[in-house]
Amino acid sequence: MIKASLRGLLHRKLRLTLAIVAIVLSVGFLSAITVLNDTLNKRFSGLFQTLNENVAVQVQAKEVSTGETPRLTAAQLQQLSNVDGVNGTSGDVSDEAVVPFKKDGNEVTAQGFVGVGASGDDPLGLISLREGTWPKTASEVALSANTAKLAGVKRGEIIKVFVSQVGEPKPYTVSGIVEFSGGRDSLAGESLVIFELGHAQEMFYGQKDVFAGASFSADSGVSQEELKKRITAALPSGFEAKTGDEVTEEQSNQLAGQFDFIKIILNTFAYVAAFVGIFLIYNTFNIVVAQRSRELALLRAMGASWGQVTGAVILEALIVGVVGSTLGLAAGIGAGMWGESALTGALGAEIKSAGVVVSPAAIITAYVIGILVTLIAAFVPAIKASLVPPLAAMREIARPDKSLKGLSITGAALAVPGVGIALLGLYASFTGSIFVMGFGLVLALIGLMLLSPLLARPVVRVVGMAVAWGQAGKLGVRNSLRNPRRTAVTAIALMIGVTLIGAAATVVSSFKHSLQADIGKYDVAIMIVGPNYAPPNGKTGFEASALDKVEALPGVTGAEPWWLTIESSIAGQPIPVVATDVAAAQKMWKLETVGGALRTLSAGEFVSDHNTAKSLNWKVGDSVKVRVGTTERDYKLVGIYKATPSVSGPVFGLPAVDDFEGKLAYQGFVTVAPGTDVAATVAATEKIMAGYPGVTVGDMSTFLKQFNQIFDFLLLAVTILLGMALLIAVLGILNTLLLSIVERTREMGLVRAIGLSRGGVVRMIGVESILISVFGALLGLAAGVGIGVLLCQALIEGDFLTEIVLPWGNLAAYVGAAMFFGIVAAIIPAWRAAKLDVLEAIAYE
Amino acid sequence: MSSPISAAARAADVWKVYGSGEAQVIALRGVSLEIERGKFTAIMGPSGSGKSTLMHCLAGLDSVTRGQVIIGDTVVTGLGDSGLTKLRREKVGFIFQQFNLLPTLTAEENILLPLAIAGRKPDQEWYQTVIQTVGLSDRLKHRPTELSGGQQQRVACARALAARPEVIFADEPTGNLDSRSGADILNFLRRSVTEYGQTIVMVTHDANAASYADRVVFLADGQIVDELTDPSADAVLDRIKRLDLSVQAAAE
Ligand SMILES: Nc1ncnc2c1ncn2[C@@H]1O[C@H](COP(=O)(O)OP(=O)(O)O)[C@@H](O)[C@H]1O
Ligand SMILES: [Mg+2]
Repeated sequence: MIKASLRGLLHRKLRLTLAIVAIVLSVGFLSAITVLNDTLNKRFSGLFQTLNENVAVQVQAKEVSTGETPRLTAAQLQQLSNVDGVNGTSGDVSDEAVVPFKKDGNEVTAQGFVGVGASGDDPLGLISLREGTWPKTASEVALSANTAKLAGVKRGEIIKVFVSQVGEPKPYTVSGIVEFSGGRDSLAGESLVIFELGHAQEMFYGQKDVFAGASFSADSGVSQEELKKRITAALPSGFEAKTGDEVTEEQSNQLAGQFDFIKIILNTFAYVAAFVGIFLIYNTFNIVVAQRSRELALLRAMGASWGQVTGAVILEALIVGVVGSTLGLAAGIGAGMWGESALTGALGAEIKSAGVVVSPAAIITAYVIGILVTLIAAFVPAIKASLVPPLAAMREIARPDKSLKGLSITGAALAVPGVGIALLGLYASFTGSIFVMGFGLVLALIGLMLLSPLLARPVVRVVGMAVAWGQAGKLGVRNSLRNPRRTAVTAIALMIGVTLIGAAATVVSSFKHSLQADIGKYDVAIMIVGPNYAPPNGKTGFEASALDKVEALPGVTGAEPWWLTIESSIAGQPIPVVATDVAAAQKMWKLETVGGALRTLSAGEFVSDHNTAKSLNWKVGDSVKVRVGTTERDYKLVGIYKATPSVSGPVFGLPAVDDFEGKLAYQGFVTVAPGTDVAATVAATEKIMAGYPGVTVGDMSTFLKQFNQIFDFLLLAVTILLGMALLIAVLGILNTLLLSIVERTREMGLVRAIGLSRGGVVRMIGVESILISVFGALLGLAAGVGIGVLLCQALIEGDFLTEIVLPWGNLAAYVGAAMFFGIVAAIIPAWRAAKLDVLEAIAYE
Repeated sequence: MSSPISAAARAADVWKVYGSGEAQVIALRGVSLEIERGKFTAIMGPSGSGKSTLMHCLAGLDSVTRGQVIIGDTVVTGLGDSGLTKLRREKVGFIFQQFNLLPTLTAEENILLPLAIAGRKPDQEWYQTVIQTVGLSDRLKHRPTELSGGQQQRVACARALAARPEVIFADEPTGNLDSRSGADILNFLRRSVTEYGQTIVMVTHDANAASYADRVVFLADGQIVDELTDPSADAVLDRIKRLDLSVQAAAE
C-alpha cells in the first residue's frame, strides 16, 4: 500500500510540484518574516551590548516623581565613585535632539541626534579621541567621525549646532574628532556632538556641576550585582541603580518596542498569506485526490481497506508537507537574509551584523503550519475519496453536481447574524463593542465564503457575458461553472487579499475626503510642524517667540503655538499631552462647547473632546491624574468640546508645558486676512523657522497634499504587503486550471477534433481564469467595501470622519488588476493545453 | 458530379512508422485507398492490424510517415495546425468509441457545437431532419450524464451529421454498446448514407457491423489484403476466417 502510494506520488510530477510550490510560498513568507525579526533583534541588541560594554552599574533618576527631576551633584558623584569596588566613573550629561547643521545651512540627517558634555577621555572607554583635542571652552565641540562626515566639516572649522534649550543654532569650532571603541565612526549611524562639560551642564540643566545620572565600571572580581548593592546603599533619594545587563536589556526592549508595531503588521500579513495558502494547498490536494479517486477505487476493489486508502493519501500529504515546509523554510531564511541586508542598508548599516538568526520558533512554526495545513487539506478529500463506492468511482468522471444546499444554509446562518452582530457592535456603546463588531465581521466573512459556491453561478454568468466572446469563451464560462466549489475555493484565496485592500482603500478615501472637507471650514491658512526624527517631547520644534515674528508679518491675523509630548499618560492611558491657549484654539478651530467652558486655562486645568470624555467617563469638574515625563499631577476637567477630524483629545493650558522635557512648541497655526499673499507669508515664515531643525512650513493645501501622500503611501504599503497573498492566490488559479486541464484532457482533444483552433483553446482557458479571478475580486470588493464602510461608520461615531466616500477609481482598478492576474495565471495552462496533441488527448486515460 | 475526383478521401501509398530502432512499429505499409463519395465504407481487420491508424491518417488526426492523404480537394499531408483546424471545421466529422460529448453542454448544444465553433448558422430544416432521424427530439435539453450510452452515441452521430461534412469518420462507434443500441446506431448511419448521401468511413472488428457497409476493406499487418462490396455478415465472417488462416500461416 505504502509503495503503491509512493509510486503514485512520483508519477504525478506536475501535481506534486504544484502542491509543493503552494506550501513553499506560504511557509516561505512566514519564515522570512520570523527570521528577519530575529536577525534584526539580535543585531540591535548587539548595539546596546557595545554601548554598555564596560558599564557594571548605572544610576538614573527614578521613573516617576512629583516635582523637579532630581540631579546628581558633583559631590554626590564623587561620593559614589568612592564606593568600594568602583573602578571608573562617568557622569551622565547628555541630551537628545542636539542637531548640527551643514555648511549649506541645512540640518544634518542622521539616525538620531545626541549631545553630551565631557571633560576628557571617557573613563569607561566607549569613546576616545581620534584627532585634535577635547572641547576646552564653551565655543568648542568635538564630533564623532560620522557627524563630521555627515556635516562635511573638518577639525578647526566652524559648525552650527542646535540645542533645544538654547533655541537659535550657535556656531562652534570643531576642536577634535572622536571615535567609538573598535575604531568605529558611529554606533548606529547617529550624530554625536560633545560639548565642554560645564557648558553642556549649563545648557541642559541650567547650572554647572550637576549630572542626570552616572555609569560605573567595576574592579575585577566585583560582580555587577554586588556593585549594584553597594552603590544602592550610598544613593541619594530619587535615584535608583541598575546593573549593566539590566540596562542593556531595557534599552533593547525599548528599541524592539519601537519595532513591535512593524513586526505585528508584518506578522499579520504573513498569517494572511499562510491563510490564503491553506486554500491553495487544500484545493490542490482536493483536485489531485478527486482525480485519483478511480485509482483509489481500484485499490479498494482489490481489497484495500478504508484505512489503507486514507492512510496512503495522508502519507503522501505528509511527505509533500515535509518537503514543502523544508524548502519553504530554506526559502524563508534566504529571503530573511536578503531582507535584513536591504533594511539595514537603509537604517543601520553602521551596526555590526550579528549573523542570521534562525530560532527554534521559526523552524517549528514553518513545519507545524506547512505539515498541518497539508494534512488538513488532504484529509478531507481523502475521506471523501474513500467513501465513494468502488464501482461508482470506477465508472468514471461526470459525477453530478453535489447539492450546495447544506453549505449555503450554513453560510447564510453565519453571514446574516454576523452582519447583525457587527452592527450591534457598531451602534451599541459598551466596553469591548469594537471586538463585538470584529467578531460579527469575521462571522459574516466566513458566511460569505461558504455562500460563495452558490454565488459563483449567477456572478460568473453575468461577468461571463462581458468577457466571453465566441464559442470558445462560452465553453470557458461553462467550464468555470461546472464545479462551483472548486471555482469558489480558488476565488476565495484572491478574495481575502482583495477584501483587506478594499477595506483599506475605503477607509483611506473617506479619511482623505473628510479631512479635506473639515479643514476647509477654518480660517487656518498656514501650518508649521515640528520634525519627525524624534518623538515629540518639547525638545524638538520651535520657540513660541518665533511665532510672534510670524504674527507681525503683513496680513497675518493670528499665530498660535501648540505644544505636544508623547512621554505622557492621562488617567493611566498612554495619551499625548497637548497644550495651547484654549481660548484662541476655540476661535481658530470653531470648537463647539459641549459642557463647562473653553477658556484660557490656568495650572491644573484641562479640557477634552466629548468622545474621550465619554469613553473615559469624565464629567466637568472631575479630577484626573496626568503624567508628563516623570512628573505626575492632578488636573481638573473644566470644559468639554465637540471633536472634529482636525481637533480631538485632551487639551491643556500653557502652564502644563513646564513639565515637558523642553519648552519648544511642536505645531503652529497661522490665520491670515483675506487677500493676503499666502505663498509669500509661507516663505517669510520658513525664513523665521530656518534655525529650527526639521520644522516644516506649508499652506493648508500643501499639508493636505502631504497627508494624502501619507494615506496613499499607507495604502500602497498594505497593497504591497498583501502582494504575497495575491501571488499565492494567482498561483492557486494557475494550479486549479492546470489540474482541471489534466482532468479534461480528453475534452480538449475532442473540441480540437471538432474544429476548435489552438487560439480557441487558449481563449477558453483564459476566460475561465479571468472569471475565477474576477469573481474572487468581486467577492473581495463586496466584503472589503462592507467592512470599510462599517469601520468608517465607527470612525464617524468617534468624530474622526465626517463622510464615507467609496474609492470608485481604486475599486475599478482592482477588478482590472484581477483580470490581468487572471490572464497571467492562464498563460502556462493555456500554453500546455494548446500544445496537446489532438490524438493523444483523445486517447488519454 | 462527374468530376474525375469522385473520391471523398484518398490515401496514396501511405506508410506510418511509430518509434525507431528496436521499438519501431510499422503500422501501415503502403496503403492506397479511395473512399467513394456517398458510400458507407467499413475498415476491418484483426486487433493491431492498423485500422485506427489508417482512419486517423485519413482524417488528418495523425501525420503520415510517407505517402499522401487527400480529403475532397484538400491535400491533408503537410497541413499546419490552422490548416487542420480549417479542415476539421469544413470537411470532416468524428464519432469516437466513447467520451464523445462535453459534459457541460446539453445534447442539443453538443450537436450544434461544431457549427458554433466554426461560427456557422445551423440549417434549421436539416437540423430537424437529423434529430428526428436519430430520434432525440425529447432528449435535447439533457446533459450527457443523463443519457444512456446508446443515446450518447446517437447524439455524437447527430453532431457529426449536423455540419454535413465531406466525410464522417467513426472508430468502433458501437464497440461500447449492447447489440440493440449498436444496431440503432448502425441503422442510423446506413440511413444517412442512403437517404442523404453522406460519406462515412467506419472502423470495426465486428462482422455484423461491417455488413451494414457498401464496401468492406480488410486490413492485416498494415496492408490492405482484401475487400468486399455489398457484403452480408456471413460473407464477411467467411472472409475473416480465411484471412486469419492466412495470417496464421504467414506467421508460421
Ligand atoms: N502511438 C503509438 N505508438 C506506437 N505504436 C503504436 C501507436 N499507435 C498504434 N501503434 C501500433 O500500431 C499498430 C496498429 O495499431 P492500431 O491502428 O491501433 O490497430 P487497430 O486499431 O487495428 O487495433 C499496433 O501494433 C499498435 O501497437
Ligand atoms: Mg483500434
